[in-house]
Amino acid sequence: MPENLLAPGAVLALWTLVMLGWLAVSRGAAVKKAGIDISKAQPGGRGADLEPALPPSANWKSHNYTHLLEQPTLFYAVIVFLHLSGGSTDLTRGLAWAYVILRIVHSIWQATVNRLPVRFAIFMASTVCLIVLAVLAVIATLG
Amino acid sequence: MDTNAILGPVATLALWSMIIWVWMYATRIPAMQRAKIDAKNLVGTTGRGLDEVLPPEVQWKAHNYNHLMEQPTVFYAVALALAVGGMGGGLNAQLAWAYVALRIVHSLIQVTVNRVLWRFAVFALASLALLALCVHAFMGFVLH
Repeated sequence: MPENLLAPGAVLALWTLVMLGWLAVSRGAAVKKAGIDISKAQPGGRGADLEPALPPSANWKSHNYTHLLEQPTLFYAVIVFLHLSGGSTDLTRGLAWAYVILRIVHSIWQATVNRLPVRFAIFMASTVCLIVLAVLAVIATLG
Repeated sequence: MDTNAILGPVATLALWSMIIWVWMYATRIPAMQRAKIDAKNLVGTTGRGLDEVLPPEVQWKAHNYNHLMEQPTVFYAVALALAVGGMGGGLNAQLAWAYVALRIVHSLIQVTVNRVLWRFAVFALASLALLALCVHAFMGFVLH
């Protein structure tokens, strides 16, 4: 396991763009199938406007990409705080890797099967990791 | 090589976000007045509800402001990680400037003409610059 606490952050950032690629491929195919020509789109149209016209599984990739730009922003801030204040330990590195692995599993689940109870359970587990990291970051920065 | 050079584009994009914030209110508040919305008596509404009552060009500023709070958060994280890891100079700084320049062009398109295809093309290019930064961070922190 890399010794650097920033490594899991770099992996999650890259994963976010992998999801953007997955979103682009599945939305592109669905848009084509629905016969929509985006060069003729109304000015100001946004991805979310396409939702009613596309199959749910195409929208799920987009929901997950959006999700990755929500709570993980807190994760990036917390690991940078820990890194800069001497809070990089086996425990924080382990929690950070757990968070990132759980978020990747969460993405794959949301983009494919997307049964809610399972997604919720994965999200809860990753959030518990983040809560512990956030508490440790407060301790590291105050100390 | 100045490994903190990447912080220049970081500061620029943060400031640009606040310029769009000003632009949003400078257009939204007069539009709300014209639409006779009495903000003093609103409870619990969000800006999104204004999509139904304000002209689209006014809401485009808000759409772009929201957009700047989405993907750029990954950019900030990666740029800070690269700077802290001593990799924030040279090509990475140039990629970061390219990302920021493209996001500024993207903003200007979205708040003015807002042609979807142009906006999409600029967003795709900016995402590629960010992808390159992410790959460099991955190589530097995980594979080294």
